[in-house]
Amino acid sequence: MKVKKYMNPYLAGVLLGLVLLMSFFFTGRGLGASGAVKSVVVASVDTIAPKHAESSEYYSKYSEEGESPLKSWLVFQVIGVMVGGFLSGAMSRRLTWKVEHSPKITSQRRLIFAAIGGLLFGFGSQLGRGCTSGAALTGMAVLSLSGFVTMMAIFGTAFAFAYFVRKNWI
Amino acid sequence: MIEELIISGRNNPEIDPHLHIWGWEIPLYLFIGGLVAGILFFSTLYTILGKQDKYVTAVKWLPLSTPVLIGIGLLALLFDLSHVLYFWQLFTNIRWESPMSWGAWTLLVMTPLSALWAVSWFPDIFPKFEFKYEWLKSGLKWVISIRIYLAWSLIVLSVILGIYTGILLSAFNARPFWNTAIMGPLFLTSGLSAGAAATILFSKDHVEKLNFAKIDLGLIAIELFLIIHLFMGHLAGTQVHIDAAKLFLGGPYTTSFWIFVVMLGLIIPAFLEALELKKYKIPSFISAILVIVGGLILRFIVVDAGQASRWLY
Repeated sequence: MKVKKYMNPYLAGVLLGLVLLMSFFFTGRGLGASGAVKSVVVASVDTIAPKHAESSEYYSKYSEEGESPLKSWLVFQVIGVMVGGFLSGAMSRRLTWKVEHSPKITSQRRLIFAAIGGLLFGFGSQLGRGCTSGAALTGMAVLSLSGFVTMMAIFGTAFAFAYFVRKNWI
Repeated sequence: MIEELIISGRNNPEIDPHLHIWGWEIPLYLFIGGLVAGILFFSTLYTILGKQDKYVTAVKWLPLSTPVLIGIGLLALLFDLSHVLYFWQLFTNIRWESPMSWGAWTLLVMTPLSALWAVSWFPDIFPKFEFKYEWLKSGLKWVISIRIYLAWSLIVLSVILGIYTGILLSAFNARPFWNTAIMGPLFLTSGLSAGAAATILFSKDHVEKLNFAKIDLGLIAIELFLIIHLFMGHLAGTQVHIDAAKLFLGGPYTTSFWIFVVMLGLIIPAFLEALELKKYKIPSFISAILVIVGGLILRFIVVDAGQASRWLY
């Protein structure tokens, strides 16, 4: 049983664009990722410390009376992404437990850096009101200026700082 | 949020306009009933077919859990009673017209039989195990000698139990969503599917896993068919039945039912099981857990939605 090769990235990119188009067509909403995480965080805070969620300016915006913050398009979209990713991996015979990293670093180092990067990105996406998917990709698709600014900022910063952490990959 | 003004003399909190009687206890009880029915059905079926050594997990190991599971289910049921200490009165009556009475009696017969059934496999699965007392040893021998009769009675009882978990709801004519003959077969199929999934989850034998994946695939197909019929039946019914179906077709239960029960609990695991049968390498516990959790969510949603559906507007 041979593992299937990955798809051509340019083709995959075009397909992703078409997914975005279909998402607009069928649901009237764009794609996103950090929004779903935010909903989970808001729902957790709302459950554990409802008073705090009510008084906080940030949380209270997302937890309206009677509606669970989890009942949002992005949460279900992300569930779909996970299920779809799993099925795609299964169909390409690529399902194994593994940590992908450069051969020069350990799995542990990779996981620690991933966690730090994820934390920073979480803050960044909230300050910038969206992540690569929600703000940059979806934003640019509807010609929103902030979408282009977000895209340039994310990739520009990554390009500028790549030099300092390059040893983790090459 | 549904707000309404009732202009009538009726004042019946927790019953009118929405039933608010059944919380988590009943759905859990119905799910466990279905799961036990599924486990015992396959265990006894393969014993009757003489394949007890081929499907060891399903036939010999899983029945060990059934007396415990029935116990948990009955505890949940007890929690639901308003007068817990009067539970024994269920057993001083036989009421043919009451599904509650049917269930109580079925379980009363089933609990000791399932325990005997589990014990009868002790020598097979624990070869070093031996009872300390002579009378227990000879008792065990006797139980093993009547095993085939146990199998026949338990297979019938397990089907009754599986259907009963649905009939308990469908016999309740006052709630239009439950009031459909599909409930019995639907819950039976879902219970059997959960039993097959439990076997896939705990089996270490590849042949057994694949066999039960095949069975589960068939059961999921039947379940989908029954779900479609459930809605067809409601939509072809009176206005209250149409309104009951609409709770799931755009109403408050739409997302939870179609995403978590139909997609994640039936279609996705069926797809994974089909891939597995085509020799793709897929961790089988994933589809098994999806099926079991989907069955649990199904009970919760159906019990909840039934209470929200009503005749009077």
